[in-house]
Amino acid sequence: MSVMLTKFESKSNRVKGLAFHPTQPLLAAALHNGSIQLWNYRMGVLVDRFEEHEGPVRGVNFHPSRALLATGGDDYKIKVWDIRPQNRRCLFTLHGHLDFVRTVQFHHEMPWIISASDDQTIRIWNSTSRNCIAILTGHSHYVMSAYFHPKDDLVVSASVDQTVRVWDISGLRKGSPNTSTGPGNFESFDTFSTVKYILEGHDRGVNYAMFHPTLPLIVSAADDRTIKIWRMSETKAWEVDSCRGHFNNVSTALFHPKHELIVSCGEDKTVRVWDLAKRTAIQTFRRENDRFWVLASHPNLNLFAAGHDSGLIVFKLERERPAFAVHQDSLYYIRDKYVRSYDFNTGADLGLLSVRKFGSVYVPPRTLSFNPAERAVLVTISSDNGLYELTSLPQQAQGEMKDSSVDGKRGAGQSAIFVSRNRFAVLQKATQFIEIGDLANTVVKKIKPPVQTNEIFYGGTASLILSSTSTVVLYDIQQQKTLAEINSPPVKYVVWSNDGSLVALMSKHTITIANRTFTEHSLIHETIRIKSGAWDDSGVFIYSTLNHIKYCLPQGDHGVICTLDNPVYLTRVKGKTVHCLDRSGRPRTITFDPTEYRFKLALLKNNYEEMLYIIRTSTLLGQRFPEIALHFVQDTNTRFELALECGNLDVAMETAKTIDRPECWDRLAQQALKQGNHKIVEKAYQQTKNFDKLSFLYLATGSTDKLAKMQKIADARGDPMSRFHNALYAGDIEGRIAILREVGLNPLAYLTAKTSGLDDLALQILETVGMTEADVDDVPAFGTSILKPPPVINSTADQNWPVVSTGQNFFDQALANGSLETGIEPAYVNGDAAAGASSALDAWAKDEEVQDDLDPEEGGWELDADAGAAQVTEEVEEDATPDEDLPGSTPGISETEHWVRNSPLAPDHVAAGSFETAMQLLNRQLGIVNFVDLKPLFLSTYRSSHTYLTPVASLPPLQLHIRRNPTETSMSRTLPVVVRSLASVRTELGEGFRLVTGNKLAEARDVFRSVLRSLLLVPLASDDEARTWRELVTTSREYLLGVSIELERRRVAEEEPDNVSRNLELAAYFTECKLQPPQVLLALRSAITVFSKANNQFDAARYARRLLALNPDAKVVAMASFFFARQRIAAGERNPRNAVELSFDPYTPFEICGATFTPVYKGSPAAYCPYTNQAYLPEFKGKLDPLTQLSEIGAAASGLPAPW
Amino acid sequence: MSSSDLYNTKTAFFLSAYQTLINRALPDSSSPDYIPTLVYQARAHIALNDPAGAISLLPPNSENVALKAVSALARYVSATESSEQEPILEELRDLAVEIEGDDVEGTEHDKLTVRVIAGTAFARAGEIEEALETLGSETEDLEAVAVIVQIYLSINRPDRAKKEFERAKNWAEDDVLLQLIESSIGLVAARDGYSNANSFYTEQLANPSLSSTHILTARGVTRILRNEIPAAKSDLEESLERQKGGDAETLAACVVAAGIDAKKSNEADELWTRLSTEHPSHPLVVDVEQKSRLFDELCSNFPVPPLAVAA
Repeated sequence: MSVMLTKFESKSNRVKGLAFHPTQPLLAAALHNGSIQLWNYRMGVLVDRFEEHEGPVRGVNFHPSRALLATGGDDYKIKVWDIRPQNRRCLFTLHGHLDFVRTVQFHHEMPWIISASDDQTIRIWNSTSRNCIAILTGHSHYVMSAYFHPKDDLVVSASVDQTVRVWDISGLRKGSPNTSTGPGNFESFDTFSTVKYILEGHDRGVNYAMFHPTLPLIVSAADDRTIKIWRMSETKAWEVDSCRGHFNNVSTALFHPKHELIVSCGEDKTVRVWDLAKRTAIQTFRRENDRFWVLASHPNLNLFAAGHDSGLIVFKLERERPAFAVHQDSLYYIRDKYVRSYDFNTGADLGLLSVRKFGSVYVPPRTLSFNPAERAVLVTISSDNGLYELTSLPQQAQGEMKDSSVDGKRGAGQSAIFVSRNRFAVLQKATQFIEIGDLANTVVKKIKPPVQTNEIFYGGTASLILSSTSTVVLYDIQQQKTLAEINSPPVKYVVWSNDGSLVALMSKHTITIANRTFTEHSLIHETIRIKSGAWDDSGVFIYSTLNHIKYCLPQGDHGVICTLDNPVYLTRVKGKTVHCLDRSGRPRTITFDPTEYRFKLALLKNNYEEMLYIIRTSTLLGQRFPEIALHFVQDTNTRFELALECGNLDVAMETAKTIDRPECWDRLAQQALKQGNHKIVEKAYQQTKNFDKLSFLYLATGSTDKLAKMQKIADARGDPMSRFHNALYAGDIEGRIAILREVGLNPLAYLTAKTSGLDDLALQILETVGMTEADVDDVPAFGTSILKPPPVINSTADQNWPVVSTGQNFFDQALANGSLETGIEPAYVNGDAAAGASSALDAWAKDEEVQDDLDPEEGGWELDADAGAAQVTEEVEEDATPDEDLPGSTPGISETEHWVRNSPLAPDHVAAGSFETAMQLLNRQLGIVNFVDLKPLFLSTYRSSHTYLTPVASLPPLQLHIRRNPTETSMSRTLPVVVRSLASVRTELGEGFRLVTGNKLAEARDVFRSVLRSLLLVPLASDDEARTWRELVTTSREYLLGVSIELERRRVAEEEPDNVSRNLELAAYFTECKLQPPQVLLALRSAITVFSKANNQFDAARYARRLLALNPDAKVVAMASFFFARQRIAAGERNPRNAVELSFDPYTPFEICGATFTPVYKGSPAAYCPYTNQAYLPEFKGKLDPLTQLSEIGAAASGLPAPW
Repeated sequence: MSSSDLYNTKTAFFLSAYQTLINRALPDSSSPDYIPTLVYQARAHIALNDPAGAISLLPPNSENVALKAVSALARYVSATESSEQEPILEELRDLAVEIEGDDVEGTEHDKLTVRVIAGTAFARAGEIEEALETLGSETEDLEAVAVIVQIYLSINRPDRAKKEFERAKNWAEDDVLLQLIESSIGLVAARDGYSNANSFYTEQLANPSLSSTHILTARGVTRILRNEIPAAKSDLEESLERQKGGDAETLAACVVAAGIDAKKSNEADELWTRLSTEHPSHPLVVDVEQKSRLFDELCSNFPVPPLAVAA
């Protein structure tokens, strides 16, 4: 073991006793000066201090489950303390020992305390009754330690009389004999405890003895400088072996709680680690001046504390940080010297490789670097002065795990990482060289780093990050030059963001976030030690300290996400989940709420959409969100913007006051106006001195007194226009006249007075200008003016009412919009269809994805690879291996030629650019003759099947051919990429359905035609796909037919309104098209309406029954349709007649001719479209299919071959 | 190893970071790097389709063979008529012969450059055999190998390209250019599902000392080939964004990606309109236009009967 990792150190008086708290990061230290210190060793803080003992304190122990501490000192006293901060005090003192108390310990389950004393006795106390319940006598000198067995009723003690004794205390548990016995009456209960074994072998006084936590072993430490291991059986105990090495008194020897190790310390100023099985020394930790007096181990963790002459240290024996590397969705890590893989998605955790034979058995590997291209790992270990090993991982977990020594390639080095697919770098710290090795472990290059390098990390391709004591350097290996350098404390870990654009350089107390060229960086300081970190998908760095998980935004803002009980090592952050390894190296996940930092990030980026999303999905925001949003925003401007967005006028008002700029007030006024909060509008207008608007606002709110005030203000401002305005608004006629007179517009003043019936005033005006009524009798007489402002019915001047609820804000609207985006469909205006039903119908239209309930006509789909296509393939002669013998400059066979050879399907030929063969195929297979409309499809398919790249300057770019099977190696099986897929066509078809429902039939017809064209260019790869393809063709055909019929019906209804029977026929045919339920419903309702209008009640009832038979589900639409249909059936029953005779027989099965829209009865001759299988009257054979306008009716066609 | 600056210049040139390269300062004219750097800068101008920029960069009346060759290439690229082009090719042929002699001005490296440039021009002119001959079948100049390999690839001879590559591997291991050559071969021959090219471009993207949108485009193209369309689109869009305009190659790749299994057909068409108006000479545009004419011709092979309509 090459390192003893010191976690915490304190300086104090000599430390004689130590105890770890079982669950909290607390350590109690008993000092020679009589005080007891309570340290939080994780935070490095002195939590409390207890100072009631007189003289040195030696024994200290925590209660296993309660907040109690027991101490024993040279004042012969044992004290029990309540350590809760609010309650801290000495609960009671146990008196009885007659000399120094050396050790104290709580029993793990009984309310007992055991103490060892220089009075040669061991006492057991009941901490409830606070009485001594047993005194174990027998030692003939000071008893230096006494401890309970972790499970059995045994006690082990060590004494200066050179013996270790094991005591049986099972008698103690049975009765409680002490209840009646007063102090001093020892003899009566002496029988309950007997010496079981006396272990003799030490040549000097024994200082310490303890039981093994699980095995029947005892370890003892003595002044004879040895540590002895003893074994016990039911009947005897014997010495197993000794560990020699300490060259002075050994103070304490402990079993490691988890590993087969012994840890000891002594007055020779060393802490030593021993192998329990071999009894050999593994490691020695030496201190200059301080003798060690006591050692304690944490019950659960890999943590030890040692007390010495001038304080204490807390240390770990091995690194807990597991070596790991993350690649995509997998974590590769080492636990118990096995390389394992952990799948983040499935949680599958597999052992892949053993590295047990690599380096020292006691040392876990330090780092692991993973090479995905070679599936190799590079592991380093710190033992033997640093080693690395390069091994490949097996493809999957095998029965017997591979051992790395089989094919591992090793070497010396302190730090080793992959730098590319086939290179790795190794740091030789002593000589300061970086060696670049290849996969065969040969050094291909040696580099002298520009700074004293302690550790190397991956720095991007062909680059390294070098960590030195005060800087971190980005170094280009190929050019051997420094690219950038940042000052930083020694960097210990480096984490790259998922896209490689940012890197976090972590040292003990700082994180530097830099971009990949190190040109920009920011620094975060942490007082608590930083343990690990990982990047969130959104570019936020999540890191863990000893006791927190925290986040750090790119601009440096950071905060706490959650608190940790124990440190963890983050491996990945995905959404709300932190993946980490705990301190025993097991994968764990922690779920946290990223809302806070996401929200901050969104605010920083002014990304309202993201904020919206957070509000929508977050659990944190149970409250109203503006408070939260506003809470986060510090910046006043942003706050104002946000408040406006949220419609939170109060905050907006408050911030506007701070900002106090006209445009702010204007915007505030606008928003307030929208919400009807005229008080705020008023204030805003006042702020900007917007008198006109203010006046109008007062008019609108009926605030006459304010208008009067405005008049005065206008007067003061010397603005007669404004005064006039306000007088007009206020209905103040005298005021108006006065203004007019003042500004010298006497004629207007006169007329105003006159028309308002103020004759006296009118006269007065005349007088002032020196005229009489006679002078103005040529002025025409006007009637009395009734111009006045409307009376106030409800005064709202003092009320802010009605106000739009502030809930109506950006977010709510956006929320509403989000759900409406695809939702609003125009109503299907079909006769008197109840409008209420239409929106419900839309909901049905959305189910159009469910194609299963369609019953497409199956047939004409010949899947056998037949002659038509085979011919094509035969035409091209087969020469697949032409290359080798050709002279250098002879062109080879283009991939497109292979495509043509490999596929009998037109789409693949189109992609290959072989339009001629593609057309021939379509013609032969599906009878296509009219290609004009296919041109855009041909060109776009061809266009997307090839891409270009120029790797060498100034040469023409290479044409690269995109395959749909990129992993295919044989040229005879390569096929072009799928440019049009069934899924994309289906989406288009869905669009058509929506148009039908939305009553945009002409557009719908275009869409169905386009779908049928697109389907010609969909390459098929299986029977399933072929079946789906045929279903899509049939569905589109039926819709195309149906829509065409309905369009024709509307034309007839408009242009030949007298031709009622044709109108009815077409309506009837429309219902015969095999549409999906939502659209059938429409067809039926249309038919019912048309038929009942024509007074064909019988037929109308028939359709109504069919509609009911559709059995629409419990949806709202059912109610409307149901009601409507019932009505029609009832009408039909009352009047079972048809007013108009139809020229078709609805009771014989028929198909509808796609050209004439007339029936083609079963059994009568018909011609069919070779592509869609649409029926036509026989006379149309040889003509162009009018529906699709692609194929020749009745042409011979072979159908599509099956190339798969 | 050549000096660090020249190394950077070369790497930038090979990885098509032309603008970065052009923006670099020229070394002192007495430096041994001066001529090579000048040549690379001029070639970068030419690669950016700015031959005038190249010509203005070159000192007139230089007797250096490499400079003469580059100037010829610039003039060749700017010439549109074959009558103008032919004398320039002759000039390059003469240069290629001249460098066999001893009395020309220029280092060994300059002479190799002449071969590469002449080979490039011949290949552009479609003189494949002459290009290969000029570049030399036993050449140990990796740049020449790059040109040779691309020529082979363009005539569907990945087998020959691979041979050249294997030969070059013996003396030029680890060179960026060699890796580029390997990835180009991988793109054409579609080996290992394009994983080599993909990891090469991904690695180069992570190279902190260089940033080239071309690499991003190249990875986008690779991803198209790997049928990773959304990932490809994100690369290409980022490349377009970073270029603040978009070169023909990126735009063309965008058109291709947008067209594959498109949900919105108009997106591809808009891009296409942009490409065909901004870069009418891009091979994709030329090719598709030719196919469009072909389609119209072929349509006449199929007589269209009259539409079936009700009498």
